[in-house]
Amino acid sequence: MKTRRILFCACAILVLIAIACAMLVIGRGHTMYFDNKDLEYDGQTYAASHRINVYVNDERVARLSEGDRGLATFTGQSFSFDLVVTRVDDGEEENFSYTLKVPYAEDGIIVNLPGLIEDLPEDAWMSEFVPVPSVEEEEDEEIVIDEFDMAMEDDMGA
Amino acid sequence: MNTKKSSAPKRALTFLSNSAVPLMFIIIIAICIPISGFSPTFLLNEVMTRLSRNAFLILSLLIPIMAGMGLNFGMTLGAMAAEIALIFVTDWQIWGIPGIVLAMILSIPLSVILGILCGKILNAAQGREMITSYIISFFMNGVYQLIVLYMMGSLIPILHGNIELPRGYGVRSSVDLTNIRKTLDNLLAINIAGVRIPVATLLIIALMCLIIVWFRRTKLGQDMRAVGQDMEVARDAGINVERTRLISIVISTVLAGIGMVIYLQNMGDMATYSSHSQIGMFCIAALLVGGASVDRASIGNVFLGVILFHTLFILAPSAGAKITGNEVVGEYFRVFVSYGVITVALVMYETRKRRAKARAAQQLRQEQEVEK
Repeated sequence: MKTRRILFCACAILVLIAIACAMLVIGRGHTMYFDNKDLEYDGQTYAASHRINVYVNDERVARLSEGDRGLATFTGQSFSFDLVVTRVDDGEEENFSYTLKVPYAEDGIIVNLPGLIEDLPEDAWMSEFVPVPSVEEEEDEEIVIDEFDMAMEDDMGA
Repeated sequence: MNTKKSSAPKRALTFLSNSAVPLMFIIIIAICIPISGFSPTFLLNEVMTRLSRNAFLILSLLIPIMAGMGLNFGMTLGAMAAEIALIFVTDWQIWGIPGIVLAMILSIPLSVILGILCGKILNAAQGREMITSYIISFFMNGVYQLIVLYMMGSLIPILHGNIELPRGYGVRSSVDLTNIRKTLDNLLAINIAGVRIPVATLLIIALMCLIIVWFRRTKLGQDMRAVGQDMEVARDAGINVERTRLISIVISTVLAGIGMVIYLQNMGDMATYSSHSQIGMFCIAALLVGGASVDRASIGNVFLGVILFHTLFILAPSAGAKITGNEVVGEYFRVFVSYGVITVALVMYETRKRRAKARAAQQLRQEQEVEK
């Protein structure tokens, strides 16, 4: 009876761990930033397009003119999107579809669309987005830790 | 015929006495609804939101009552476990339903540890469970603050600057849960006559109700009821009373943790150092408003309590503002009602207990006189 109970508990714990691991993978959120900007690579310049529309699941998430940046959020380790590119004013529209694998550890990924469209190596058009904290964020905040409103001013250095 | 006539008013009196608190609330709500000026759709939407937000948390209180341990103020411990889990989930950037599921799973081991600790202390303080669990929650709040304010970021890695305090350790006073906000409530949600029904959340609550009904019929559930009725008799019947009581507290703490995740995903924002502090008080007040007592509570009490207590919560500021011209009065009224209901329920419980004791003593005396 005791062995059966231990086995049941062990199985339950293993199932919970398995679900938790699955959630860690499928629920990992990322933000992808789409840049329609000129790209310098190997001494060559790849010019930004006149207009790029980014679609995710047939829904437009960004409409980028030259020099613009758009973004889309998603969960999981790969991201599929479609591009409708107009390279020059009054030019013809070209359609592209991509599925990109995303590094697990990176919250934000910048994709340079002109580089992606030109089929350049990944390191040319993909980079990590590193947010820069603003001056306001650098200032410490006051923490109120109980209902008597006693702020820990000394500890927080306020 | 005569017996029938005398038993009917007695029954009515007993009903009135048992349902005094819910009846009082129904009367106050009936007065406040027209004064507040809220539309029925608005009111129903608000009540539905609060029902889905709070019901699971309040259900977590039922099992310790079944085991005779009274109102578990220690449910705050489960809430703290859930908050720690949510801090990690937010920091690891796990979004949506997976984030909610992961937070629930992560809260379980923490809740189990805290529940065992709480249960062991409550076993050592038999007969004083409620006040002891209340004090334990204060003590554990200190431990929680030590972990969150000093250990997170220094000993426990925190990756993101929007969670960590700029000084390099400790968690900010507010954690943004936008990435999981209402993802459970919006799953399968439908609109009926302008009222949004969070179907998935209600299904989870319904499943929990079914589990509680099933649990009452299991061997462990029967043991808990036996312990709740009379510990000595249960012990004589071969039930491990201390273990049964401890399990009831562990289950309650785990359920409170899961309930807190559901609560906070609905709120979409977590006040790191205060979200848990009042949660036990409001859940217990809602359960008591539903007609429960320290030694008797049902699933029906949970739902009636959430609806009445939170309807008054919605109405009070507006009604207070219209009656007195000051909205703050309504806010004070809400807090007054919460604490007042708990006080009245505890006094009523103690009075009933003493009356029953006196009645038993009188009966014994009469029996002894007859024997003489």
